[in-house]
Amino acid sequence: MDETPVDKGGGGSPDAAPAVGIGSRARIARIFVAMPPEVVLIVVLVILGAIFWQGSEFFLTTRNMRNVLLSVSVLGILAAPGTLLLISGNFDLSVASAAALCGCIAGIVAEENSAAAAILAALGVGLLAGIFNGVLSAYAGIASIVVTLGTWLGYRGLARLFSNGQTIRMNGKVEFITNDILGVPAQIVLFVLISVLAWFVVRYTRFGRSVYAIGSNPTAARLSGIRQKPTIFVMFIVSGLLAGLAGLILASQLDAASGNAATGVELEVVAAIILGGASLSGGRGTIPGTVLGVFILGIMQNGLTLLSISSFWQDVATGVVLVAAVGLDQVRLRLSGS
Amino acid sequence: MTTENGALNQRLELRATGLRKSFGGVEVLHGVDIAVEGGEVLALLGENGAGKSTAIKILAGDYKRDAGVIVIDGEEADIRSPRDAGAYGLRVIYQEFSDAPDLTVAENLSLGRLPRNRFGLVDWSRVRRDARRILEKLGIELPIRTLVGNLGVAERQVLEIARALAGSARLLILDEPTSALTLEETDALFAFIERLKAQGVAIIYITHRLDEVERIADTVLVFRDGDAVAEGPVSEFGRKEMVEAMVGHELVEEVASLRGEDHDIGEAVLTIEGATSEGVFRDVDLEVREGEILSLFGRIGCGALELAEAVFGLREMTGGSMRVGEQSGQPTSPKDAIARFGVGFVPIDRKIDGLLTVLNVAENLSVASWPWMTTAGLLPPRATAKVFERWYETLDIRGKGGATQSVDTLSGGNQQKVVLGRWLERESRLLVLAEPTRGVDVGARAQIYHVLRRFADKGIAVLIVTSDIEEVVRISDTIVVMSRGRVVARHRASDVDRAQLIRQAAEDTVEAAAAG
Ligand SMILES: Nc1ncnc2c1ncn2[C@@H]1O[C@H](COP(=O)(O)OP(=O)(O)OP(=O)(O)O)[C@@H](O)[C@H]1O
Ligand SMILES: [Mg+2]
Repeated sequence: MDETPVDKGGGGSPDAAPAVGIGSRARIARIFVAMPPEVVLIVVLVILGAIFWQGSEFFLTTRNMRNVLLSVSVLGILAAPGTLLLISGNFDLSVASAAALCGCIAGIVAEENSAAAAILAALGVGLLAGIFNGVLSAYAGIASIVVTLGTWLGYRGLARLFSNGQTIRMNGKVEFITNDILGVPAQIVLFVLISVLAWFVVRYTRFGRSVYAIGSNPTAARLSGIRQKPTIFVMFIVSGLLAGLAGLILASQLDAASGNAATGVELEVVAAIILGGASLSGGRGTIPGTVLGVFILGIMQNGLTLLSISSFWQDVATGVVLVAAVGLDQVRLRLSGS
Repeated sequence: MTTENGALNQRLELRATGLRKSFGGVEVLHGVDIAVEGGEVLALLGENGAGKSTAIKILAGDYKRDAGVIVIDGEEADIRSPRDAGAYGLRVIYQEFSDAPDLTVAENLSLGRLPRNRFGLVDWSRVRRDARRILEKLGIELPIRTLVGNLGVAERQVLEIARALAGSARLLILDEPTSALTLEETDALFAFIERLKAQGVAIIYITHRLDEVERIADTVLVFRDGDAVAEGPVSEFGRKEMVEAMVGHELVEEVASLRGEDHDIGEAVLTIEGATSEGVFRDVDLEVREGEILSLFGRIGCGALELAEAVFGLREMTGGSMRVGEQSGQPTSPKDAIARFGVGFVPIDRKIDGLLTVLNVAENLSVASWPWMTTAGLLPPRATAKVFERWYETLDIRGKGGATQSVDTLSGGNQQKVVLGRWLERESRLLVLAEPTRGVDVGARAQIYHVLRRFADKGIAVLIVTSDIEEVVRISDTIVVMSRGRVVARHRASDVDRAQLIRQAAEDTVEAAAAG
C-alpha cells in the first residue's frame, strides 16, 4: 500500500525523523513499520529463492525462470482484475470455471471453423459470463461472493456439459496464441502488459481511485457522487473477458480443451491477492503486491518440485507461507497503528 | 457494579508524566503531564490535532507510549492494553463509537461479560434485566431490544456512556461527548457527570465548547501542538485566556461582520413548497437565495436533517415540490443531486458517511470533484495534491503528513474539515451542511464561518442544519425553527433572541400554530 502516509512520512522524508536517542532495535522496528508491504514480499521472495537455489543448481537458470513465468502467467492475468474487485470489496470466484468454459467453447468452434472464430467465441462467452456476474452483483444487489459461488459451479457445469466430460483436441489450431513475441512467449507478454495496465489504472485513473473509495466506505463514496454500480459492473466484465483469454491460453498451451481445466485456480488467485497485501474487507491492495504474490506462489511450486517434494507437502508449505506472509503484514500494520 | 455506591470505591489519583508518542517517525506528543483525582473534572483543551485524543488513548492502553510514566494511587501502573486500563477502573468514551451495531442495546451493555446460566449458555433474561437496571440507575431511556445500528447518533452516544459506566469506573474519560447531543441531552449528561463527581469518580473531559468548560470543569489543561502549555483551576481562566492558550495568540472574532446584514441577497436558488415526508416532516415551505445563509434550527429529530437529506436525494418526499435554480423536481440520488442540481452535502456523521478511510487527504478533499478534474479518465496524484494546496491553509487542516497523509490518521476535527472542504472545492450552487462545525476547534470554527460567508458572497446559497445555538446566531442571515416536522418560526438574523429560539425549538406544533 504505497498510499499509506505513514509509509511516506516515515520512509520518504529523512528530516522528519527525530535526531537523537533511538536505539538500533527501535530503528529496525521503525524501518520495518515504515517500509511498504511490497518490501516484505520481496524479502520473502528472496529468502525462498535462496533456499531453492541452495537445493538445486537448476533453479536460478534462465530456463527455469522462464518455466516459472510460464506457469504463473494465467494466474497473473486472472489476478489483475481480481485485485481491483477485491479492493472494491467484491469477489469473482468464477474465473477459473469461466476460463474452462471459454476453452471448451473455443475447442468446439475450432472443430468446424477458423481459429479467429474460435478466439472470438471464447472471448464472447467470457464477456457474457462477466456480464452475468456483473448484472447480478452490481445491479441486482446480490453479494458478489454469493453470485460467483453460484457461477463457479454453474460455469464449470456448463464446461463439462459442452465438452461431454471429455478432452477436446484442438489439432494445433490455436497454438499460435502462445507463440513467442520477440523471443518471449505471448502469455508472459500478456501477463506483463495486463499487470502494467492494471497498475496504471489503479494508480492514475479516476476509475481506479473510485475502486478504492468504494471499497473503503461505500456510503461515503455514494454521497460523494461516485457511481458504484457501473464501476463494479465494468470490473466483472473485464474479469470475464480475461477469463476468456486465460481459457484460450490454456487451450493453446495444451493444444486441448477440457471441462476440468484450471480447477482450483480461483483460490490461487485469491491467495495471490491476499498475499499481495489486499484486505478481504476491501479498500486495501495493490497490483505490485499481487504480482509479487503470484510470483511467490509460482516459485514455491516450482522450487518444491525441483527439490522433489511431494505435491501434498507442497500444498502444506504454500499454506504456511501464505499465512506467515499475511501475518507479518498484520504485525507491521498493528505496529504502525499504535 | 459499584457505581451507585461509588463512594465505596477508593478515590483514584492519577499522575502521568512525560508522555511521548510518535507516529511513523513524527512526534505528536512531546512529553506531557496529566494529573487528575477522584471528584475532579479536568477539562482537556486544545486545537484540532493538538494531541488530546492521543494522550488519552495512551492512558487507556490503546496506544503504546514511547516514553512516560503513569502513576495510579502512588504506584506505577503497568498499562499495556485497554484491559489493563479497565482493571484500574479507567473507562473511555471515544469520539468514534466502539459498540457492536449488529447486537441489541441490552447485549451491548453486557458485551465482554455476558452472564451465563448453569448450563453455560447465555442467560438472556438476565442480560435484559441487567440492561434495564443499568439504564434506570443512570436515568437513561433506551429501547433495550433494538439493534444498536438502528439507534440515532445521540442515542448511541448515550449508550456509549452507559456501557462505560456499566463496569465500575474510577476515572471516566470523555472525548468530545456532547458533539452529537442536543441541548437537553447535554444538560442530562452534565447532571450525570455532577453525580459521578459527587460519588468520587475522576473525570477527564475533552471539548471544544468553552461554555461547557465553564459549566462543568474544576481544572483546565491546555495542549498546543503536542505540549501542555497551560494548567490551573478553571477560575483562573476566562474564555479569552483559554483561547489564547490554545491557539498561542489572540483570536479576533468578527461575529458581527460575519452576519453580513447589509449584503445583497439575490435570486432564489432552492425553493421548497409544501414538502412532506410521512411521519418526518410536513408542509415545509422554504426558500434559500443566492448569497444567503439559512439555518434550520431544531432539536435532533425535528425533521430538519431529514429535509436536508431529501434535498440531496437521500429521502423521498411524498408531497410538495422542490426546485433548485431551473431544475425542478426532486433529485433521485446523491449523484443526481450533485450533477444535475448542483447540490453539495456534508452529512452529519462524517466518520461513517463521509470519510474514505484508505484514501489520502488530498483525494478525500477532491473526490466529489473528480468528474471535473479528470481528462480522459486520468487522475494524476498531482491534480489532487493541487486541491490540497488550495484548501489546507484556508481550512487550517493540520496533519503532519501533508497531502498524502491517510485521512484516518488525521485528528477528529481535521477530518471534519476535510469532508467540509470536499464540498467547498466542488463549488456547488447550493451547499447543504449538517452541523458544519461539530468537533471543530475555536479557531477553525471562525475560519469555517468566514469561508462560508465568502462563498455566500460569491452567490452560493447555504443551508445549514444545526442544533448549536451559538452557530445559529453567529452565521445565519435567516433562521427557520423546526419542531416535530413543521416550521414553527422564521426570523431575520438581526431580530433573534437565543432564549426565544430555544423555546420555539421545544414548542409543540399545536401551540405554535395557535401562537402564529
Ligand atoms: N495513527 C496515526 N498515524 C499517524 N498520525 C496520527 C495517528 N493518530 C493521530 N495522528 C496525528 O497525531 C496528531 C494528534 O492527533 P489527536 O487525534 O491526538 O488530536 P486531537 O487533539 O484529539 O484533535 P481533535 O480535536 O481534532 O480530535 C495529529 O496531527 C494526527 O494527525
Ligand atoms: Mg480528538
